[in-house]
Amino acid sequence: MVQEKENVLRIFEETKEAIIKEDSFKLNNLSNQTINTASRTQDPDNIATAVVVYSIGKIIERKKYREFPEWNALYKKIISSIDEAIKAIRRGKDKDFKKSIDSLRNYINRLSGKLKEYVQDVFRKAEINKASKIYEHGISLEKTANLLGISMYELALYAGQSKISGVSDGIGLNTRSRVKLAMEFFK
Amino acid sequence: MREKALLFDSSTLISFSMNGLFQEIRDLKKAFNGKFIIPQEVREEIIDKPLTSKRFELEALKMQELLEEGVLEMPSSLGIKESIVSEKTQKMLREANDLFYSEKRNVELIGKGEASCLALSKILNEKKIENIIAVDERTTRVLGESPENLIKLLQNKLHTGIKMNKRSMEFVKGFKFIRSTELIYVAYKKGLIKIKKPQILDAMLYALKFKGCAISDEEIEEIKGIK
Repeated sequence: MVQEKENVLRIFEETKEAIIKEDSFKLNNLSNQTINTASRTQDPDNIATAVVVYSIGKIIERKKYREFPEWNALYKKIISSIDEAIKAIRRGKDKDFKKSIDSLRNYINRLSGKLKEYVQDVFRKAEINKASKIYEHGISLEKTANLLGISMYELALYAGQSKISGVSDGIGLNTRSRVKLAMEFFK
Repeated sequence: MREKALLFDSSTLISFSMNGLFQEIRDLKKAFNGKFIIPQEVREEIIDKPLTSKRFELEALKMQELLEEGVLEMPSSLGIKESIVSEKTQKMLREANDLFYSEKRNVELIGKGEASCLALSKILNEKKIENIIAVDERTTRVLGESPENLIKLLQNKLHTGIKMNKRSMEFVKGFKFIRSTELIYVAYKKGLIKIKKPQILDAMLYALKFKGCAISDEEIEEIKGIK
């Protein structure tokens, strides 16, 4: 079930405006706005919203994609999927909402050539990016990786290279005690 | 002599594996008077699942090799049945994911692999087998060491009130944790690291951090400063 429906509706309405205005910065912000809810509720639809909106932002940002012959059809499909999602939320039809998101992913999988590769890569990186945000919010590495359907290896790699893992939480055992524990265990 | 076991969560093995530190695991095992154990749920995350895709297939195969060599072992090597671990894992998962809630909804924090390490540790404690859990990711460690402080962390990040179900708190106590960084320090102090350059400890600690070990720069400098 879509959690915080009014918020998701607003996000999709603003997403459509931002797509038309080609405002990828706004799209990135909109995607981040669902992360708190996604982390708390772990609702697949909220997570899908974050991934899709972020991905669309990246797709819009990359002007070179417009050179591909499939671009116009892809653009129309993005807009129509957003319209379907908005209608579904307004009518309270969760299954239709899921269908509208899935139909965009399925459309991309049926694209051909380089555009398909690039766009699939955008979605994959979006999943990892959003997973890292959820991990940063305090959900465990494994739980987060499973929520987004990505590998723990991939998330660990991304988390390690961002500032996420490195923040000293100052809670639990201090470092010296932890080292002492390890050394004594190996005696 | 009392039996002992080092339990590995997926996150720690991933940190080692992504840095190619497989020989270091072998050498640590030789230097350890006990067993290196992985529950089935961890095996699924670090071997079974990645073997089905190309991206981390090599790392998975190298981990599988460690299992086949007996460097890593399953709980059955300690006479513990898989079904017992599974049952306890489900219970641990329920209790741990029941611990915090927000707006009448549970905040589910950990996955099966992480829960299985906690569950196995409890089983070993009952059998008086000394054990430590090696876990690199932060949430499981903080959950097991100071669940009360995890509330503050969650509240800051989720920008919402978080409450704790105190009934479940007892279930997540009584664990000891280390990370891949402490293990590599042990390897270094025991002369198990082949590269003998002066900056090798620094390099290895940061390498583990950059591949996902939840350790800060300050903690790394502290480890390096230990005499």
